[in-house]
Amino acid sequence: MRDFFFGKLTWDAVPHVWYTIGGTVFIILAAIAIGIYLTLTKRWGWLWNEWLTSTDPKKIGTMYMVFASLMFFRGMLDAGMVWLQQAIAADSQGYLTADHFQQIFTSHGDIMVFFVTMSFFFGLMNWIVPLQIGARDLAFPFLNSLGFWLTVSGGLLINLFFVIGGDFANTGWLAIAPFSELEFNPSVGVDYLIWSLQLSGAGSLLAGINFLVTIIKKRAPGMTLMKMPLFTWNSLCAMVLIISAFPVLTATTLLLWLDRAFEMHFFTIGYAGNQMMYWNLIWMWGHPEVYILVIPAFGMFSEIVSTFSQKKTSGYVSMVWAALTITTLSFLVWLHHFFVMGAGPNVNSFFGIVTMLIAIPAGVQVFNWIFTMYKGKINLASPMYWFIGFLVLFMIGGMAGIFMASPPADFQVHNSLFLVAHFHTMIVGVALFGIFAGITFWFPKIFGFKLNERLDKQAFWFWFAGFFVAFMPLYLLGFMGAPRRIDHYAAATGWQPLYITALAGFCFILCGIATQVYLVIESIKNRKQNLDTTGDPWNGRTLEWATHSPPPFYNFATVPYITSHEVFWDMKKKGWEREKKYEDIECFKNTGMGIYISIFAFLLGFGIVWQIIWLIVLSLVGVIACIIRLSFDDEMEYVLPAEEVAKIEEAYHRG
Amino acid sequence: MKTKFLIGILAVVIGIIGSVIVLASENALVVHPKGIVAQNELELIVVNIILMLIIIVPTYILLFSVVWKYCIKNEKAKYDPDHTFGPIGELMMWGLPTIVVIVMAIVTWDATHELNPYKPLESDVKPLVVQVVALDWKWLFIYPEQGIATLNYFFIPERTPIHLHLSADGTPMNSFWIPQLGGQIYSMTGMTTQLFLMADGLGEYTGRAVEINGEGYADMTFPVKSTSAQDFADWVELVKKSPSHLTGDLYNELVKPAVNKSTIFFSEVESNLYNKILDKYMYPTEPVL
Repeated sequence: MRDFFFGKLTWDAVPHVWYTIGGTVFIILAAIAIGIYLTLTKRWGWLWNEWLTSTDPKKIGTMYMVFASLMFFRGMLDAGMVWLQQAIAADSQGYLTADHFQQIFTSHGDIMVFFVTMSFFFGLMNWIVPLQIGARDLAFPFLNSLGFWLTVSGGLLINLFFVIGGDFANTGWLAIAPFSELEFNPSVGVDYLIWSLQLSGAGSLLAGINFLVTIIKKRAPGMTLMKMPLFTWNSLCAMVLIISAFPVLTATTLLLWLDRAFEMHFFTIGYAGNQMMYWNLIWMWGHPEVYILVIPAFGMFSEIVSTFSQKKTSGYVSMVWAALTITTLSFLVWLHHFFVMGAGPNVNSFFGIVTMLIAIPAGVQVFNWIFTMYKGKINLASPMYWFIGFLVLFMIGGMAGIFMASPPADFQVHNSLFLVAHFHTMIVGVALFGIFAGITFWFPKIFGFKLNERLDKQAFWFWFAGFFVAFMPLYLLGFMGAPRRIDHYAAATGWQPLYITALAGFCFILCGIATQVYLVIESIKNRKQNLDTTGDPWNGRTLEWATHSPPPFYNFATVPYITSHEVFWDMKKKGWEREKKYEDIECFKNTGMGIYISIFAFLLGFGIVWQIIWLIVLSLVGVIACIIRLSFDDEMEYVLPAEEVAKIEEAYHRG
Repeated sequence: MKTKFLIGILAVVIGIIGSVIVLASENALVVHPKGIVAQNELELIVVNIILMLIIIVPTYILLFSVVWKYCIKNEKAKYDPDHTFGPIGELMMWGLPTIVVIVMAIVTWDATHELNPYKPLESDVKPLVVQVVALDWKWLFIYPEQGIATLNYFFIPERTPIHLHLSADGTPMNSFWIPQLGGQIYSMTGMTTQLFLMADGLGEYTGRAVEINGEGYADMTFPVKSTSAQDFADWVELVKKSPSHLTGDLYNELVKPAVNKSTIFFSEVESNLYNKILDKYMYPTEPVL
């Protein structure tokens, strides 16, 4: 009976160590503060009607951005704690226990990959992809809202262990088996990890399907595939990866959970479980996943370099094929994550060589980015700073990657800090720099004013210098034989000075983040000086710059006919003016159903983590009931009459 | 502008000098190999880096010179908004990296077969067989030919190929690594892997586990000592006088998870222990130990 009502939940689950008490207090205080603010300013209704229930991709994109930023602070806190521990833990235990340390880097990895980088990219895609292809909305506006809220519920679940449970997984971000099995990890930490990934994975999959269908079906007339802007192309590639790879993650972590909940033996060390199978499966998803994190950034940089060089993209067709090649190859390289498992030399060299093949399309992209600037007029605005910083780091990270693709070389750096340095070069230098560049670039489009140029450049220098100070020591530490994920080490290894240098680099990066926070506040405060009244602040080339800034919720009053992948540039050359012919527009109503379903999904995840049977049943019924209710909703769209459109457009023209 | 540029140059120079100092110190284990395997792997690393630098250094120069020349401030630079290199230029952009990758692929194929960890090392000396078992969180070394075993201590004769068989018992996946002697291989419960290593001379090195496996992960290190063949034989005789015997019961005690950094020498070992450890997972219902 007790099991039915409380499952594994006991009084031990309430916070009783400093970090869970601290986390709980922080979460409660933050919730109260937000509640008081909203009540005092009477903004509950505004928040609910204008934002939370919105199906407008631009608003959902902004919510993705806010969510990703919040999670980014959490992830950076973890990073700081890890670095501080390693800087002081020579011949001593430092200030963290081994278990706590391991939980911190695990949550750092999961949060940064799933809730920061992916959320930022979904945010940017929501902002820009519909505008770039001349669509008024996504193919499935409701699914978009649901996907976002599922991601949020995953994000809440991954932080919930502070309040209830007190333990997170200590397995590394992939919950690597057999270490994540019940035998070695009896607490609910791994279950929290599994189920927050299930929720956010479902959200990502829905978003992936949505964007794929949108890009395939909702392009403006005349926009054939080879007339799509490169950001859209790269987004499409990333979506193909998401749709093909995420079901593997869902299935793999589900099998792991079956092992844990029902004592099955898929990946256990005994009873014919196969631990090596987990590694194969998780990396079959994991390698495409890291390309999901960088491919959209490639697309953004292609747009940025061409816009700020005032020049046509060099080798558009090559760039498309390069993205497609990387997409395909990313499924054929997973084994390079465990060359040291003892596979024979034929298998190892196959996967090593396929990995090296990725250098070919990557090289094509690098050359074309450089040659896009050749004979251009390069305006070194702040997105270009991020772009050049990215190219510098991308080549270093790529070189380290190809280096490790050679199996015998990998034997000497596998699981060392060299590897950690490599993938941070890629995730920070490519994905994050891409996100920062993209946000700076498209911010005026979405909000109608530019970000402060000077502060953004300052932030860039902090990040760029900080990156070198923080991560170059890790490359060296790899050559010194320092493994990743150790909580303390002998002083005789000589590692400590480098760990301290890395911590100093982290402080640089913190200054960069502080500058970025100030940058946003300052830019909002002084927005009057940086208003973008034309809708085209950078002399842009693609369709998103043809509409107003910020765009009306229907994006385009009239959708132009697309003649090339730089259609707006061509239109401007021919002397373009906004058409004043208006038509009825079909719009999608707001709906709270995405939130309701996600609340039930969150409760479902919580119930499964603690094995509370009534809660599982209730929340499953809740999810199904919501879906049935939704299917009876015949009037999710409404028609915005042409006169209304005309009024809104006139208001824009008056300024 | 000029001072900023100088600060940048200075930072780069300091970084390079610092890196060189670190890599030159004996602490940089991977670049100071003491065994033929690690030596060969280092040579491959250097070849790979040189091959990549051949393409990357010119690309950096190209990047900065293009940015320098076509910066908007430079009014003399030609502006051609529709310039492209055409099919031949594109072909070269695909071709150049392809050539480098083909060279690297050939090198990789050869090296991977040459440096296959299962491949016996060339030597006139008969290889010494050592069975390594990773436990939570300690390393057990069994010398079957000598009939002895050690805990957390790896003693080997110099210039003798060491033929390692690796497994684990009751622990998550482990990776066995002695950076100065050679690269890693996983040791997995219920599985057996192999690795050949050889020390070039007398010396002391450190080995460790390199795969997250719980509380004692950071402490799962062991000293490695290579001595002359004579000293090794003497050491074996010495160990044979040790009062500790590695019986099945004692082994079952050792398997229990514990941070245990003590060194123990066992003069007698339960017969066929390594295979029995593997059998535990082949026939889980039958008590083998």
